[in-house]
Amino acid sequence: MAAPGPRVLAGCCGRRWTRALRSCGLPGLRGSWPGGQLSARLLSQEKRATETHFGFETVSEEEKGGKVYQVFESVAKKYDIMNDMMSLGIHRVWKDLLLWKMNPLPGTQLLDVAGGTGDIAFRFLKYIQGQHQQKQKRQVRTQQNLSWEEIAKKYQDEEDSLGGSHVMVCDINREMLKVGKQKALDRGYKAGLSWVLGDAEELPFDDDKFDIYTIAFGIRNVTHVDRALQEAHRVLKPGGRFLCLEFSQVNNPLISRLYDLYSFQVIPVLGEVIAGDWKSYQYLVESIRKFPSQEEFKEMIEDAGFQKVTYESLTSGIVAIHSAFKL
Amino acid sequence: MATLRAALRGLRPRPFFGPADAPLRRRSSGAGLLYPEHIPTSPLQKVLLAAGSAGMALYNPYRHDMVAVLGETTGCYTLKVLRDQMKRDPEGAQILQERPRISLSTLDLGKLQSLPEGSFGREYLRFLDVNRVSPDTRAPTRFVDDEELAYVIQRYREVHDMLHTLLGMPTNILGEIVVKWFEAVQTRLPMCILGALFGPIRLNSQSLQVLVSELIPWAVENGRRAPCVLNLYYERRWEQPLGALREELGLTAPPLHVQGLA
Repeated sequence: MAAPGPRVLAGCCGRRWTRALRSCGLPGLRGSWPGGQLSARLLSQEKRATETHFGFETVSEEEKGGKVYQVFESVAKKYDIMNDMMSLGIHRVWKDLLLWKMNPLPGTQLLDVAGGTGDIAFRFLKYIQGQHQQKQKRQVRTQQNLSWEEIAKKYQDEEDSLGGSHVMVCDINREMLKVGKQKALDRGYKAGLSWVLGDAEELPFDDDKFDIYTIAFGIRNVTHVDRALQEAHRVLKPGGRFLCLEFSQVNNPLISRLYDLYSFQVIPVLGEVIAGDWKSYQYLVESIRKFPSQEEFKEMIEDAGFQKVTYESLTSGIVAIHSAFKL
Repeated sequence: MATLRAALRGLRPRPFFGPADAPLRRRSSGAGLLYPEHIPTSPLQKVLLAAGSAGMALYNPYRHDMVAVLGETTGCYTLKVLRDQMKRDPEGAQILQERPRISLSTLDLGKLQSLPEGSFGREYLRFLDVNRVSPDTRAPTRFVDDEELAYVIQRYREVHDMLHTLLGMPTNILGEIVVKWFEAVQTRLPMCILGALFGPIRLNSQSLQVLVSELIPWAVENGRRAPCVLNLYYERRWEQPLGALREELGLTAPPLHVQGLA
């Protein structure tokens, strides 16, 4: 196949360049790019196209992964305290809403990506256990005449309070996983929980393995969001659900101004005072601004092959929950 | 443009530089940086930082970085006064010109070790060993919006250890408070004054009594009598006997020995 004309080539390159800047990437176009036919002019454009954003800074794509790793390595120990301070505890409500929307049934296989300190995983386990307890209560209420065997069984330690449910917490950062494992020990979560070191862009799992895939406040730190979405599509079973809780664009102009003021003036100061780390929290607020809007992200999810994509904005759009299905 | 030239001038004698910028990497906020570690802050941020760091330093006295941040955010006027004072003194002006830094990479430890007992350099080294501190634990200046003043406050921090040696104070809380009183009288930095006034909150009553009755009057008297300690080119005075240096500055011996780490 002859190389396409220079103008078309430059046009394609230009489009790829602008979309690379927005860190969307083109899932379809990548595969069909002619390998060895690059001219010198294209090479220079190609080089620029492997840049991406790190907050408001421009870095090369290879650099971004390492820098994000360092950010989370340094904030890991104070991650939960800082979340409470920065969001005034509202992040707990957001995560609870995610679980409420998920409404998992016993027997669900959940994959929580970028789940570092385990907030979603612990909530999932508590939710399933809560359901189990309610079921038991209902049973006891309806059954007035219990046989001795049934009463004895109810007094025994029920190991299968999870009903076969399992959550796999996957994170690229060792420090975050360490903190998460320690939290699990402290809170007594043992059954139905696994910790795996892995990259969201290249998950160490087989195809069609999980019922639900969640990623909470993690996907904006991924270098290639499109690859992460494709991996999500791959590891989900047919009928599986994708759920993403992430910061998004505020829809109210007044709240947007207040939110910007709070983000840029207060949050880095909090980071410095509490965690001794200004720059990581500066990166955090900048990375929120760089993440696509609710609609754009919905399109990206559709591009990855998901269907029935919906989103729900919380707290005037400060965060949004995107939900999609692999059908 | 003038600030850019001043920034470049200031950057040259420094022994450290940020990582050489690769061609691909561009800082979007690079134009606002006056020195490598500079973080530009708005007035609101400075107020919040000052309040937050003061609170955190009181709550957790081991957060030395909070004391440093407090100094940087509250010292803008006082640093100018200090800088002008340094400019008027010949040795101080030389320090401002040459911008020496005290860190493990710039100190010749072997040479200091070989100096005779009782010399300033030897006693400084002993102080570092006995108290198990290192000159490299000083965080770089970040929130001062003038690179010359950033150097002045960095110099003040690095000279702090020298003051411990000159005053004979260890690095426990009592010793630090005494040195803070001395520095408060000398430099009048708001952070020193606040530290001197609020530091004693964490002391037990016995130490407090000793502090108020004997150590503070001694520190204040010496602070008033001595010339500005920032004007001494310490790097050139390693061989000078400690006693002679103390006499030059008009420092007397402390009224009682403050017990430090064994």
